[in-house]
Amino acid sequence: MPNIKLQSSDGEIFDTSLDIALCSLTIKTMIDDCGIDEGEDTVVPLPNVNSTILRKVLTWAQYHKDDPQPTEDDDSKEKRTDDISSWDADFLKVDQGTLFELILAANYLDIKGLLDVTCKTVANMIKGKTPEEIRKTFNIKNDFTPAEEEQVRKENEWCEEK
Amino acid sequence: MSNKNKLFGTMEDSVSTQACSHSHEIEEEPIKQLPKEILLRIFSYLDVISLCRCAQVSKSWNILALDGSSWQTINLFDFQKDIEGAVIENISHRCGGFLKILTLKGCQSVGDSSIKTLAQHCPNIEHLDLSECKTVTDLSTESLSRHCVKLLSLNLGSCSNITDESLKFIADGCSNLTEIDLSWCNIITINGVEALARGCKKLKKFSSKGCKQINDNAVICLANYCHDLIILNLHSCENITDISIRHISRNCIKLQKICLSKCVELTDQSLIAISQNNHALNTLEVSGCHQFTDIGFQALGKNCKYLEKMDLEECNQITDLTLAYLATGCPGLEKLTLSHCELITDDGIRHLAAGNCAAESLSVLELDNCPLITDRTLEHLISCHNLQRIELFDCQMITRVAIRRLKSHLPNIKVHAYFAPATPPPITSGNRQRYCRCCEIL
Repeated sequence: MPNIKLQSSDGEIFDTSLDIALCSLTIKTMIDDCGIDEGEDTVVPLPNVNSTILRKVLTWAQYHKDDPQPTEDDDSKEKRTDDISSWDADFLKVDQGTLFELILAANYLDIKGLLDVTCKTVANMIKGKTPEEIRKTFNIKNDFTPAEEEQVRKENEWCEEK
Repeated sequence: MSNKNKLFGTMEDSVSTQACSHSHEIEEEPIKQLPKEILLRIFSYLDVISLCRCAQVSKSWNILALDGSSWQTINLFDFQKDIEGAVIENISHRCGGFLKILTLKGCQSVGDSSIKTLAQHCPNIEHLDLSECKTVTDLSTESLSRHCVKLLSLNLGSCSNITDESLKFIADGCSNLTEIDLSWCNIITINGVEALARGCKKLKKFSSKGCKQINDNAVICLANYCHDLIILNLHSCENITDISIRHISRNCIKLQKICLSKCVELTDQSLIAISQNNHALNTLEVSGCHQFTDIGFQALGKNCKYLEKMDLEECNQITDLTLAYLATGCPGLEKLTLSHCELITDDGIRHLAAGNCAAESLSVLELDNCPLITDRTLEHLISCHNLQRIELFDCQMITRVAIRRLKSHLPNIKVHAYFAPATPPPITSGNRQRYCRCCEIL
């Protein structure tokens, strides 16, 4: 498998094995569209991903390069969030900023597996929390007026245990 | 390869230090970086409770959490007592065309006006479970018929106000329907079933358990129009006779699961008809069909080689011969209920244990109230390596010693038996379980 050069937004060049880079459907499309020859010094620019995040993404892709391609069919299955592998869980023990940047990168690079596992991780940070705890977790400002807040609380109280 | 090693060698130390180098604004509320579609994707992993809580976090989260795309599948069974009409109406508004699967089982406060709102706002619904929504009437099915063309499965079990009119509405508006459950809709008659069968020819599953007015003509209508039936449940439809079964088995050859329990008029002619036509049959429940004899099961054993589950409770004319036929003909038999089949003896079990299903398939055997079986039965069963559970209530000739021996050979087996204590203990409280295998529990 030949190598390919990826350039992050801050200019760093990552010389990467092609099979790892192809985890990203975005990169795959670029290569398919432009064509790439072995030995040629092609550099794929990735202006939306900085070097820190790109390095993490490539680490993830390296570990998962032999995973089966996720199919569209998986989407219709019941959504679970308790099936994150311990390697992934460990890999995603990062601060929120990094986690969200990974999500954005996975989205931009079109890496479904990474997007799924990062979104699941955020879902798990929400599950089981009260609205106030969710605000605290993500530092979200409560912009409801007291009257609005009461209204919204009433609309949604049916799902709370009495 | 060398490049890759270099790349991944330096990764660990750099990540944690550089990750926080964003602008101040982002650091304050980093989740704001995520665009709407990503938040929706995250919300798609959340359950109903979490979504309702997210809706209370902030204005923008309120809009996103209540976005219909997060609410494609809703099961409100866990909240049944709290579900007032307003909740359904709220959900209908927020879900709109996104809602595909809704379970309102047991939500007894849900009435026709809520279902009307639901039908109007959620025209793409495919699976709707209204079982035990006892106040629902024909007005609900009228709304569904008018708006929900895509409905594939509808459960109206125990909605006892439902009449033939409902079936006419469904037939008119929901021709794609493949599954309908009308259990305990007692006032349904041939008129409704005929309309349904004519209008919904794609039906694969039909259940009219406990609908006492279902007669041969109703079943014949199903047979005439719904040739794709795979699952048929006529439990306690006491009026049906062999004529019904002859038609339905001949016209619906794809039938795989048939329940005819408590259809007391049926005779061996029914079993013979099934055996001649429904070779894909894997489940047959005929408990309480006391006219069935070895002759009927001989036919089944000969032709239905895919049978996996059989409930023969109270088929009290069958003898060891039935077991011999099934043992030879049905290698996939997993679960067999012979409770109250009082003529079964150790010899029948010996056939079963020596049969094709014994070593790999057979996992559950219910023998309670088979008074003739003895410890020898348990000795025979030692060869059934996959046996997970055996019921032996009121088998008076089974001893503890034999059960222990069976367990030593099949360590994972669950044995359910009861041995009366030598002196009955005084009854301590009124909360004693009122559970009696020999009485019918309705």
